[in-house]
Amino acid sequence: MKALFGSRPELARVRREGFTRGIRAVAPLLIGTGIWGLVTGVAMVKVGLSTAQAIGMTLLVFSGTVQLASLPLIAANAPLWVVMLTAMVVNLRFVIFSAGLHSFFRRFSLGRRWLLSYFMVDTSFAMFLSRFADAPRDERGTTEQVWFFLGMSAGTWFVWQTMSIVGIVLAAEVPARWGLEFTAILALIAMTLPMISGKPALIGAVTSGVIAVVAAGLPLKLGLLVAVVAGIAAAMSAEIMLERHAANTGGTS
Amino acid sequence: MSNLEIWLVIIGLTLITILMRSSFLMLGDYFPLPERVQHGLRYAPVCALIALVTPELFLTQGTFDLSIANPKLVAGLAAAVITLTMRSMIAAMAIGMLVFTFLRA
Repeated sequence: MKALFGSRPELARVRREGFTRGIRAVAPLLIGTGIWGLVTGVAMVKVGLSTAQAIGMTLLVFSGTVQLASLPLIAANAPLWVVMLTAMVVNLRFVIFSAGLHSFFRRFSLGRRWLLSYFMVDTSFAMFLSRFADAPRDERGTTEQVWFFLGMSAGTWFVWQTMSIVGIVLAAEVPARWGLEFTAILALIAMTLPMISGKPALIGAVTSGVIAVVAAGLPLKLGLLVAVVAGIAAAMSAEIMLERHAANTGGTS
Repeated sequence: MSNLEIWLVIIGLTLITILMRSSFLMLGDYFPLPERVQHGLRYAPVCALIALVTPELFLTQGTFDLSIANPKLVAGLAAAVITLTMRSMIAAMAIGMLVFTFLRA
């Protein structure tokens, strides 16, 4: 344990507590993460990647959406630049996530930040920011918060990689359509709905959800990004309007 | 694609993904975001997750499918109801998957 949490007892206790809380918080999601990883593992092999390539891809890239988006392009022999461009567009939401986490990780060296960013996945980011978004600026990046992130990340990484490799090894045995990947969507529903608190968040969620459906046909999976940006913009406008409304009604009474 | 090309793709995806994930963590020191935008980022989690979910529920092979014959939509709604009433993720997934499997059979 000293190797992980360090030898200063007081600091090690805070780290261990944050880490454990992170693992506990993410635990219910890991069923979805595991099945999604399994499905991705199977898909990589079915597209024609060798065992070494599939394992290399899952360990290095560690992003289900990027991996799944690139597979049909690999299968279709698309030019390298098309695969890269698609990956960039799919990844654009990570830039938004990255901006959301900056104030929490700014005290670290660039090398450490780079390492932390490897673990940035949709579920961890969402769970982290919905828990700590209210922390004032000078209370961001505490040991507790960072180790909470590490705990979530460790759980997610371990389950994802293990199940991906199981999928890669057993790809031949898994029927193409069990519909198992749908469990990941159900997990996302169960995770997201409780996060929607307050009118602006609700308006943002509805906007993003509708636009994601309407814009699903856009090339390079651009619809996802358009939906996220529109949702955030809608939530912010709603917030401003509600504030003005409150100020007006408050001022005239 | 040849073996070499696939490895090139994997290396390319690795670089692009890590660069974009780390983008603002690295550059945020030099490009501080306005307070409004900072504040607005709190809505990013919900918006991103919802945008991953709704196309899966409302689209069947790329076309809008708002009917009770759409197993994913019905199962997703069931999971949503369970989430809001029972507050249990495991129950939501189990019942959602049961409904989904039953409707597809």
